[in-house]
Amino acid sequence: MVQTKKMYVLPAVKMSELISENPYLMLMLEHFGIDLVVGDKTVRELCTETGISEGLFLSFANLFNGFQPSTTVQYSFADLKPIILFLKNSHLYYLEEKYPQIRKYIAQMFEINEQSAMVMVEKFFDQYFAEVTEHLHYEDQVVFNYVNKLLECAETKQAGNLPDNYSVRVYQEHHDDIEEKIEDLKNLLLKHLPSHNDQQIRRKLLFSLFELEYDLNIHTQIEDTILIPLVEKIEQFISTLHDK
Amino acid sequence: MTNRNHHIVIIEPSSVIYEGMFAIMENSDERFNVVRLEKLDEIPAYTLRKAVDIFIVSPVLIQNNLKTFNTIRDSLPQSKWIGIVYSYFDQQQLSVFDETISIYDTPDAIISLICRVVEHHEDDEQGNKERLTEREIEVLKLLTAGNSNKEIADQLNISIHTVISHRKNLSQKTGIKSVSGLTIYAVVKNIITLDNFRE
Repeated sequence: MVQTKKMYVLPAVKMSELISENPYLMLMLEHFGIDLVVGDKTVRELCTETGISEGLFLSFANLFNGFQPSTTVQYSFADLKPIILFLKNSHLYYLEEKYPQIRKYIAQMFEINEQSAMVMVEKFFDQYFAEVTEHLHYEDQVVFNYVNKLLECAETKQAGNLPDNYSVRVYQEHHDDIEEKIEDLKNLLLKHLPSHNDQQIRRKLLFSLFELEYDLNIHTQIEDTILIPLVEKIEQFISTLHDK
Repeated sequence: MTNRNHHIVIIEPSSVIYEGMFAIMENSDERFNVVRLEKLDEIPAYTLRKAVDIFIVSPVLIQNNLKTFNTIRDSLPQSKWIGIVYSYFDQQQLSVFDETISIYDTPDAIISLICRVVEHHEDDEQGNKERLTEREIEVLKLLTAGNSNKEIADQLNISIHTVISHRKNLSQKTGIKSVSGLTIYAVVKNIITLDNFRE
């Protein structure tokens, strides 16, 4: 449980106040596909408007504020749709915005700081990015499609054409840690790589890495503590359909 | 104490005791990240992801798992171990811990004990911070040349277990876990040259 000085998010709080306290919540709205212009709406009003369940919204918002999701919240199968949407949008944010931005900063830093180790940093990042891309595509194409199929089955109460030997357990095993190399890169930049007039660009690069890390960390927690248990529940439900 | 948050893992089957410990730490002026794990078996996977300063463990869990516990403890030389004592335990059982807390201790006594352990721990680190030992440098060189733990163990005539512990220290000291990251580190520090790196 990470302790935090931020407030615990409750339904009656205004979204704009929450964002003023923790701007990272803007990313949460974006991943949910919610307009950033939130006016004076409270969390509850936003939930009613968007159809996202309060329990889910609060869990996510509190994760952003540093609180572990409460184990007493019961998520419904209907929550899976916004969860998948959220995760998919996060993937777009990583692949189309954050990683290219970091890559650009590394290239710019290399223009200023020409030490040979920078070539290796570029290579390090490119290899890492290739791994991440593969992992995220796997989630998009295999895992999320699988979850959508499960949802269809649960809605129609028919165990239709599910892939036979796939279960979310397989995914759990696939689920390797993509945060580790970000940490490595941060430490190289902060502790080891000597600077050559690259202060500004190094700072931009580091900020970018911190932002990515913040979001990735929450992403992993959502997958591990909310998505996977919920998918296991729906798998169980569907297996009871089989038995009938 | 430094400003770093201290990462503490509590492994305690009783929720009442866990919640109590958590509240005591939360209400103190120190900064702790407190996480609860259910079983000893969860430690190895957890420590791959996060470095833990202190484990607070119920001796009950160790009673019949002494072997497992010793293996885990030896694999994590950087962490300290505190036992939570709430009934009579054999002295020998408690000797596996660095310190013990009794549930009848006052919150202040508990916090000051934890701080003492952490500080002591940091003194240990301070002495050799960043400074790699010769053995660690040898391991680093072999590692960046693409050798596996087994190959490194064979070449240096040490056990795989020792190689793993050197690697843990390397990562702890440099803050870098991946081999490719360590390779960059080794080049920056002139431990290997880029020519070594290009096969």
